Amino acid sequence: MREIGSVYLQGEIVEEHLEFTLVELCRATGATEEQLSVWVEEGAFEPRGAGPHDWRFSGASLRRALTAQRLTRDLELNGPAVAVVLDLLDRIDALRARLAQHGFEE
Amino acid sequence: MTGKGVKMKYKDYYKLMGLQRTATEAEIKTAHRKLARKYHPDLNKDAKAESQFKEIGEAYQVLKDPEKRAAYDRLGAGLKDGDEFRSPPDFNEGFEYEGAGSEQDANDFFEGLFGNRHRRSQTHARARDWPGEDHHAKVSIPLKDAYTGAQRTFTLQMPSMDAQGRVTYKSRTLDVSIPKGILDGQRLRLAGQGAAGIGQGPAGDLYLEIAFEQQSRFRVEGRDVTLDLPVAPWEAALGAEVLVPTPDGSVTMTVPAGSAAGKRLRLKGRGIPGKPPGDLYVTLAIALPIADTDAKKAAYEALRQAFKFDPRAHFYG
Repeated sequence: MREIGSVYLQGEIVEEHLEFTLVELCRATGATEEQLSVWVEEGAFEPRGAGPHDWRFSGASLRRALTAQRLTRDLELNGPAVAVVLDLLDRIDALRARLAQHGFEE
Repeated sequence: MTGKGVKMKYKDYYKLMGLQRTATEAEIKTAHRKLARKYHPDLNKDAKAESQFKEIGEAYQVLKDPEKRAAYDRLGAGLKDGDEFRSPPDFNEGFEYEGAGSEQDANDFFEGLFGNRHRRSQTHARARDWPGEDHHAKVSIPLKDAYTGAQRTFTLQMPSMDAQGRVTYKSRTLDVSIPKGILDGQRLRLAGQGAAGIGQGPAGDLYLEIAFEQQSRFRVEGRDVTLDLPVAPWEAALGAEVLVPTPDGSVTMTVPAGSAAGKRLRLKGRGIPGKPPGDLYVTLAIALPIADTDAKKAAYEALRQAFKFDPRAHFYG
């Protein structure tokens, strides 16, 4: 179906089609396995599976883990603080979405 | 990169951080903490926050380090923000600077003085085979692409490591199929398009974060799309068939008789495609024609006579 000579890369939508193992999520975000384990302990991430070797993180975890990793690196937040910030950011996003529904930009 | 008499513009790091030149180390640290929280791109959605955050980080790299700060102070005596000057050739001789960031900015002033701060952050030199790093990039697409799918060519600045372990940026063009139904803020994983692996290690992946281009007409929330549609007073009062623009062509919609301004009508399934697809919401805005001729004034007058309408009847009670 494609024109000759033009190959367009086919990607997968992370949030819909992908899950990550612990190793994959670490590689994609630059977070360490220890950091991710702490965030899971804090309940900031809820992977499927019994233990670290079986963990499967949802595609949406990528964005969250990138944020967590940057906050840890840039502001030196510890695990519990990262969990609080992620929760607050979720709430801000929800409020922002409600504002947008009513036609308000922030 | 060692500032051999390079001409550049002076940046006042003290002013940037809101500090006096006499600030103590503790004051510098506190100022940095406050500003880093304020402008951190994960906490501040303002478009300028990210560049401000990087500038603050750069200023802090210099001011927190007594040797760099001393060198910077010697250089900056008598200079104001934005002044052009030529850096002394021996400016940073004898110092060894360790960079800590992985930011993607190339800053002439900072790099001219302190060299490229990007260093090899992880050394896998002893590992014979190692997977390549995953890369991230952000691209904008028109909303229409989410409706129809598309083929787009992007030019990205990709980091790559040179022989000295410095990060340089190369532009790279990438032909990408945009899948129908993708949403703002979602990421597309392009397998094997990240950094090359070491030895027999596989290449990393590239994650493309998708943003919709800013457009005035449509507001997007998840898969639902909202549009303000102007209608004439008689269309709202008597009902009408109107043509509604969608990101993917126009559709005909019935405005029911007796519609008020602000009424929200739903065109089911006309939002961004998916399982299930989003809806298109049309908010009616009543546009008043201007009475700029005698005939038009007479028409408004006839309305007044016919309705005896008091829009403020329940307004003051």
